[in-house]
Amino acid sequence: MKRGRMLRGRMTRGRRLRVAVPAVLVAALLVALAAVLLTGCTQERAPLPEGVLVVSQEQQASWIRNFNPLTTASAARWPTLSGIYEPLFIFNSITSEFVPWLAVGFEWRENNRVLRITTREGVRWSDGRPFTAGDVAFTFELMREFPALDRRGSWSFLDDVRLVNDNTVEFHFERLYVPGFGEIAAQQIVPEHIWKDVEDPVTFSNEEPVATGPFTEVRLFRNQVFELGRNPYYWQEGKPAVEALRMPALPSNDRANLALVFDEIDWAGNFVPAIDRVFVDRDPDAHAYWFPLTGSTIFLYANTKREPFDDVRVRKAVSLSIDRELLVDVALFRYSRPSDPTALCDAFASWRDPGAVAAGDWVSFDVDRANALLDEAGYAWGEDGFRVDGEGKRLDFEILTVSGWSDWVRAAQVITRGLADVGIEASVRTGDFGSWFQRVQEGNFDMSLGWSYEGPTPYTFYRWLMASDTVEPVGEIAPGNWHRYASPEADRVLEAFEGEADPEGQRELAAELQWAFVTEAPAIPLYPNPSWAEFNIGRFDGFPTAENPYADPSPNKFDRGECLLVLTNLVPRGQAADGSADDGSQAEEQ
Amino acid sequence: MRYILKRLGFYLLAGWVALTLNFFLPRLMPGDPATALFARFRGMLGPEALDALRETFGLTDAPLIMQYFTYLGHVLQGDLGISVAYFPSPVLDVIQGGLVWTVLLAGSALIISFVIGSLLGVAAAWWRFGRIDSLAPPLSALLGAFPYFWLAMVALYIFGFKFGWFPLGHAYSDAVTPGFNAAFIADVARHAVLPVGTVVIATIGGWLLTMRNTMVMVLGMDYVNLARAKGLSPSRVALRYAARNALIPSVTGFGMALGFVLGGSLLTEIVFSYPGQGYLLVQAVRSQDYALMQGIFLIITLAVLGANFIVDLVSLWLDPRIRETTS
Repeated sequence: MKRGRMLRGRMTRGRRLRVAVPAVLVAALLVALAAVLLTGCTQERAPLPEGVLVVSQEQQASWIRNFNPLTTASAARWPTLSGIYEPLFIFNSITSEFVPWLAVGFEWRENNRVLRITTREGVRWSDGRPFTAGDVAFTFELMREFPALDRRGSWSFLDDVRLVNDNTVEFHFERLYVPGFGEIAAQQIVPEHIWKDVEDPVTFSNEEPVATGPFTEVRLFRNQVFELGRNPYYWQEGKPAVEALRMPALPSNDRANLALVFDEIDWAGNFVPAIDRVFVDRDPDAHAYWFPLTGSTIFLYANTKREPFDDVRVRKAVSLSIDRELLVDVALFRYSRPSDPTALCDAFASWRDPGAVAAGDWVSFDVDRANALLDEAGYAWGEDGFRVDGEGKRLDFEILTVSGWSDWVRAAQVITRGLADVGIEASVRTGDFGSWFQRVQEGNFDMSLGWSYEGPTPYTFYRWLMASDTVEPVGEIAPGNWHRYASPEADRVLEAFEGEADPEGQRELAAELQWAFVTEAPAIPLYPNPSWAEFNIGRFDGFPTAENPYADPSPNKFDRGECLLVLTNLVPRGQAADGSADDGSQAEEQ
Repeated sequence: MRYILKRLGFYLLAGWVALTLNFFLPRLMPGDPATALFARFRGMLGPEALDALRETFGLTDAPLIMQYFTYLGHVLQGDLGISVAYFPSPVLDVIQGGLVWTVLLAGSALIISFVIGSLLGVAAAWWRFGRIDSLAPPLSALLGAFPYFWLAMVALYIFGFKFGWFPLGHAYSDAVTPGFNAAFIADVARHAVLPVGTVVIATIGGWLLTMRNTMVMVLGMDYVNLARAKGLSPSRVALRYAARNALIPSVTGFGMALGFVLGGSLLTEIVFSYPGQGYLLVQAVRSQDYALMQGIFLIITLAVLGANFIVDLVSLWLDPRIRETTS
């Protein structure tokens, strides 16, 4: 009896446990799943608030509050340089013109040794205080005192900055250097009455910016997102029509692209693969893009301090072996075109010299001519199907690129294929950015892909491609001219350019530079980089497009304030939009 | 007590070794912070900017060994230096922002996975050859073989992108106000489902298998038979007698797992753009931000060492044998 009761008791408890544990588990899982699915299904992607422009330019996982426009190394730079603070003149890279902004005019005096700039009247800082030429002089003085703030190297050519009166300031040059105008024009100006009390402007994080730009009010700041509201005192009457800028923190290009596709972003500057299918086709009425070719030209740099690339015939032969049509197809989804022989991107379109373009016959795809040039240079075919040099050594080189920069890697692969056809063996060597950049800067490479430097005139561009004074010894760090090419002809023209303030004269000199480039082939141009710009035309009107090309459409063009042209021109769709979009582009030539 | 002191000494030594490695390893990378930052702009910044950057960061030329001692001194004072990637914010401020989220993500994933995995392990061993035992271990082992971030990407694609059930990233939506309110907490939970879920799925198998195997062994022990013979209830035998002892290897593993989960959650965070340490670390490596890298590694090291120390204490409580041998 007793035993039987015990057994029964054990069994029921056993059954209870047997049922209890899985039942609780299953129930818990079901509840969790249901909760999740319910909240998940009822969730709709909330529409973005009207009038708030959501921008993605910089890829960050979280924002750190810093609105210092002078330090080079600050996070959250985009709106700081192109929305909060403003420069004197904005260079419009589509029209190649300087648009007067905080300044209204300039004048070269004393044989181009003094630049006199007239500032705009009626401009006020966002705290209501008037903006004067004194603020301009103060900003440059600050950069003199703290070289870390002198991002564009202005004090390498300036001697002094003198305040003439409340709306006139004079820049005295240490040497003849007219291209310095571009650097002065692009400088973001800070208010003297705030910054004179800042102890260390280099580490100043400027959390409540006082500025002249259209968006100065930090309405919201969280690590994932921040918002900038309008400047109540903005000097352009009735602008901006956009109520606020919102910057979500998106850590990667992929993530930003997802946000674009799902209408979480109004304006972005990402690389989007197959954009017509991935982005535009999802919502053709709202999704649009324009990729003008105003980015820096991408080059194949051949180290001219190494044999055989010291021979111009070899450099031209390498160039002729490249099928650039295939290259832009494979590497860039046809977003770009083969570079022309002057290597100038479309930002310099008005400078292009048709004669020089015609004379540069070495950027086409012509294997026979490449072979003929190599034969002429004395590189005979070896037994294994590759050419050999005078000592019988096979021509065998590495092409350096950066791992993860897939456009460059694919471009390098196309190049190796072309080189094989002319008897040069080349292999693609990808490296982490740091190691790649170090080798390139030190001149420790055979061939490498690389960017080029932009600027308002072709002066900067060509200087860093072939000026003697940019050539550093192999083994020492060179910020540009990594292929280490010196052209006495270019030196002469560049020097003349430094003293030439007349636009017509500059144009002639720029043509001479192009002739020097196409004759000497110091570097091998591949393609001009597109300026990436995607936007939501369903929510905002007034983005620059191929039909209305009033400015560069990319948010990436912030360093010189160019995005301000777009920001002041956008109109939310909900409001009465007249569609005319030309205010920012009218350059008041003085 | 001596046991605890001995363990503490060991952790101090381990901490010092980790600090030293933290200092030297990042510095073996080629390049410097200025050029790395320069790189992000791909030519949009003029060459002159490089000089300005070097000036800004005040890159020092002092010998490495001197830098090392300065670094040790600063760390002892709680000064982790200034971040270069987020100049001029102190590393501590930068890390603070992300730490909460990483702790939330890794912590909840670890606890959920540990609890569910261990319970399933107990169940599988108790009802050997039953349904749970034949299904759960192989399935979880299979899922555990996939890397976290791969599962994360698949989950993001299916549930986030295709079905749109869950947000595509971030820790909370921009629309809600952070704070202690229901809407915010629900929103955070919804954003955490996919990242936490993928880590749980990837790690649950380990707990399950360890627990099941030890449990099977323990169930064969004499004292378990004795407990059964005494007529104790099966739940009491299973949980208080068998499971408590079977738990010891799992608890030891818990401390180790914290390190792996922290490391793995970094990748998960990147996939879901979760604002934790994961992306910070990537950013730090890309920018050659030594101070930030060291700071993040330091936090991970401290977390793992701290967790192991707690585990030591817990096993002291769980396992009387340790108490006896050390006293």
